[in-house]
Amino acid sequence: MTHCAEDYTIDELMVVTLARQFTNDDIILNGTVSFIPVAAILLARETHAPGLTWVAGAVGVDAQPGYLMGNTLDPTMWKNCVMYLPQWEDMWSYVHRGTLETFCIRGAQIDKYGNVNNTVIGDYYHPKVRLPGSAGMGDMGSLDKRIFIWSTTHNRRTFVERVDFLGCVGYLDGGDSRERLGLKNGPQLVVTDLGVMDFEPESKRMRLKSVHRGVTVEHLREQTGFELIIPDEVPETPPPTEREIHLLRDVIDPRGMRKLEFRGAGKRASNEK
Amino acid sequence: MVARKKDKVMTLVDAVQLIHDGDIIALQGMGTQMSPLALVREIIRSRKRDLTVVMVVGGIGLDWMIAAGCVRRVLAIIVNLDEFGMANAFRRAVEAGEIEMEEYTEHQLLSRLSAGSKGLPFLVTRSGLGADLINIHPETTKIIECPFTGQKVIACRALEPDVAILHAHRADLYGNVQFFPKPIWTDVDVFPRAAKKVIVTVEEIVENEEIRRTPIHTGIPYFKVDAVVEVPYGAHPCSLYPNYSFDRVLFQEYATMSRTVEGTRQFLDKYILEPASHAEYLQRVGGAEALLRIRKWS
Repeated sequence: MTHCAEDYTIDELMVVTLARQFTNDDIILNGTVSFIPVAAILLARETHAPGLTWVAGAVGVDAQPGYLMGNTLDPTMWKNCVMYLPQWEDMWSYVHRGTLETFCIRGAQIDKYGNVNNTVIGDYYHPKVRLPGSAGMGDMGSLDKRIFIWSTTHNRRTFVERVDFLGCVGYLDGGDSRERLGLKNGPQLVVTDLGVMDFEPESKRMRLKSVHRGVTVEHLREQTGFELIIPDEVPETPPPTEREIHLLRDVIDPRGMRKLEFRGAGKRASNEK
Repeated sequence: MVARKKDKVMTLVDAVQLIHDGDIIALQGMGTQMSPLALVREIIRSRKRDLTVVMVVGGIGLDWMIAAGCVRRVLAIIVNLDEFGMANAFRRAVEAGEIEMEEYTEHQLLSRLSAGSKGLPFLVTRSGLGADLINIHPETTKIIECPFTGQKVIACRALEPDVAILHAHRADLYGNVQFFPKPIWTDVDVFPRAAKKVIVTVEEIVENEEIRRTPIHTGIPYFKVDAVVEVPYGAHPCSLYPNYSFDRVLFQEYATMSRTVEGTRQFLDKYILEPASHAEYLQRVGGAEALLRIRKWS
């Protein structure tokens, strides 16, 4: 028997939704400040996908850190791994060949074709805002990854008609433009604080899949800076089970590191040290 | 360039003499991990200018150097302080046009350095195909066709930094540098091979015999190393796994103070310019109490 949880928060729903996308066959590596994806990986492993392979911080193969600690690239995440993957020869070989196929990304701007920008707002050489940079997603967008996008700021500033700077290649201009460049896979799903989107198979335009509890389709549409494809029937995002919530709160992320990814989270969730 | 087998142990003050204004510096480090920050503080105190800094993941040391006016240009894939947020001095300097940011994908930047390390004119990658990044540095990345299949790939022009600076667990006086559990991150691997000169700070200097008992941990051989400096806690406030964690208190203080130019200047004065030595710096950041705190991983 699975019991649906009544008491859950948006961060928990996002983690659970992402976790349910991962399968036993996935080999996933994570990047920087990725508390929500790493929590989702650990949760999937504890529930439906015990065989999922996680390369912690792109170093610790099949690591077992127990729970989320410092940041997601920290060596503390490598605990109990079977191998420290040398980055230059091994990790990048596996990434290029496609052995490591799944990656989660986020960014300051996301457009209707799943292209992502975390480089600049405005012109590259005279930016209005200089953002941190593309980091690994600049690589992964062009290296045939199955990409899962997460965002804790579903609004018109983040979800824009066209990214100011194309840092991570999604479906480019839509249709077959990604394929014509010889790139396989691409963005699969977008999980935000308001709902879940996928991509319509022909046009590759972003399409609403579900809205979270308490969010209306109209509100999500208003918070999106481009025209989403909206089906006639939009269900509510399936809620977490009581077991998923227990695992997440008490086992995987007792310190609430995942909440750091929300604006206004302010100080670290756990700053007792 | 070959560094001979001889005693290379020196002080931080002497080691920074190997760095000249206008040099290209390859600086090891992640957002909060494993960076030669005692050496970075000495670079700031010696008022180096017009440096080009190459990092995979730019972090707090780079932000300090930018705030102190040492940097003209940055080559990196991202610059931030991990979960402590934006690198504010970097952001302000780029937005004001005071420094230039040459952003790459990780594999483009590493391909440039790896080509440099092998004496090849370029190496190729598929990373970043279709993205805007290759268009912002046409002098160093260019789409070419494979001569055998016609496949489009990106040629990444060789890069040989003048000096690589790193922090490691230990070395002997000749500069055989060891890492625990082993060399892992790309900068430890590619930076020293690509650079013309290599400066390494270490937690401790050990006997040559000790290195010979444990050669599996050696990541850089003596013939690539020009200077060795013994600096316990030399990565602070970054971590050196498994010895000590990053210092959350100091990171948070910098993240808060660096929100303003004035706050950044106060931080640099207090922690970098005023302390006359590394020992005084460690006192300023909390002395034994702070060091005990970061030795407890959680």
